[in-house]
Amino acid sequence: MENKHITIFHGPQHPGITGNMSIELDLLGETIQKATTHVGYLHRGFEKLIERRTVIQAFTIVCRICVPEPDPNEANFAMAVEELAGLEVTPRAQYIRVMVLELSRLAGQFLWMAGQSGSIGLYAVGQWAIADRDLILDLFEELTGGRVYHMYIYPGGVRRDLPEGFLEKVSSLLVYMKKRLKDYDDIFINNASFKNRAIGVGVISKEEAIANGYVGQVLRGCDIKADVRKDAPYLVYDELEFEVPTQTAGDVYARALVRRDEMDQSLHILEQVVEKMPEGEVMIKMPTHRKFKLPKDDTWVKVESARGEFAYYMAGDGSEKIRRMQVRGPSLVHAYTLLEDLLVGAELSDVALIMNSLGICPPEIER
Amino acid sequence: METIMFKEIKKRFATYDVEVKRNDLYKVGIKYSRLFELVHMLRDQYDYKTLNAITCTDWIEEGHFALTYILTTLDRKHTFMIQTMVNRENTQVETFSHEFKQAEIMERDLHEMYGIDFIGNENLKELSLENWVHTPPLRREFDTLEFVTNHLTFREGRDDNVDTKAETKRLRALKKAAKEAAKKAKEEAEVQKLKDEEVKDGK
Repeated sequence: MENKHITIFHGPQHPGITGNMSIELDLLGETIQKATTHVGYLHRGFEKLIERRTVIQAFTIVCRICVPEPDPNEANFAMAVEELAGLEVTPRAQYIRVMVLELSRLAGQFLWMAGQSGSIGLYAVGQWAIADRDLILDLFEELTGGRVYHMYIYPGGVRRDLPEGFLEKVSSLLVYMKKRLKDYDDIFINNASFKNRAIGVGVISKEEAIANGYVGQVLRGCDIKADVRKDAPYLVYDELEFEVPTQTAGDVYARALVRRDEMDQSLHILEQVVEKMPEGEVMIKMPTHRKFKLPKDDTWVKVESARGEFAYYMAGDGSEKIRRMQVRGPSLVHAYTLLEDLLVGAELSDVALIMNSLGICPPEIER
Repeated sequence: METIMFKEIKKRFATYDVEVKRNDLYKVGIKYSRLFELVHMLRDQYDYKTLNAITCTDWIEEGHFALTYILTTLDRKHTFMIQTMVNRENTQVETFSHEFKQAEIMERDLHEMYGIDFIGNENLKELSLENWVHTPPLRREFDTLEFVTNHLTFREGRDDNVDTKAETKRLRALKKAAKEAAKKAKEEAEVQKLKDEEVKDGK
């Protein structure tokens, strides 16, 4: 029987899509001839809202820019405001920020593991990963009062000090995670079902990755040692030891191996943070919020999120409101420039697999 | 290396020094007509190979958009912000999409949000919005509240589908009436109490 040309929509209501977006696929049989990304299902206009709010009012909404990973947004926002206003946070606040960001990276990787395994039908992995991510969310709840949105990394420091016995709880979780991650190697990373599906699929070349501005595991999966924490260290990352894992194949499996190795590195960083946590204040004295004005100046700040470099452009205009805040996460370029190219020639059954490996978060495109 | 680069930029392009914002972040403001030349120089001579972002800030009171092209070196250790001012009315800017593939989507985003026409970018179609015919939403003159008031209506049957001003006035009037009624009842009770006492004394 002859193959026919058909067009189908993959998402927005689809378990294999990473959020509220859709990919229009032109197929010949099951092979993709053309892929077109569509967003616009949850536009919330945060960048516009922020222009009409005071600095502190804007702080309450930045964490909502990316649901699976709110903390890099809080960190970028705080760092940009502090840089424009000339504020310097205390060493203890910086260590606490690193702890929150690394816990957030771990939680983000568990969520990726759930999505990536689900995309090929390994549902048990997803259930384990969500349950283990919940242990991190429990810690976040105790520290910040919120499980998903924390509103904790605040310009000038962090919103409150660590509760009593919190570092011991983090240490216990690290011991558990070290042991537990080996189970994921057995059930997921070394699982022949995953390897057979992921090796040689969604291959990206090194040259293309650099030239087109791709970030995170997409770069590291192509043997490029790119990590903002090493390349342009922020907070206290230059005082901590860790490796930047890389792989050479540039395919879905290489990106998965990089992510798995990064989880080990996050545990290693957290161990050091627990050990080195300095005493002192967690918040500096801030101007009252209605008198807190940013000078007419601009800056560009970035952190390494679980999905790669996450940056903010921020401009002040001498008033108490932010003139412009533009978000540059991994998703805009990955969902359009990269995904639309990578899917051409791929099989329909690999769409969710490839998409999950790129770390695309649609809320961050429609910010 | 940086010093040589800064000197060359100042000599060839800018009227003032390159601003060192952090040890990994530099910024320079240049005329739009020299933008491509500077980006090419940084890319070809100083290893700024990746275009990270194109940002836009609307300075409505000054009549221009500030477009900032953010470039990063191959080792990702240094970032350069090249800022150029363009007129905010009927803005036309040459595209960078033929040199940096990712510029296509970045320009499409800015085209939708600010109405900037990137000449040569053939993919400036709708991104997040649908059938949008109003002022591009990130321009400063676009008033969100006014747009909502003029174009959107509350869905029937919602609890919050009320005129908040009228509702506040009604609730205040109710509260005031209740307070006055309570005061009146209290006064009446006191009068009654006095009467009762007088009757008792009379006995």
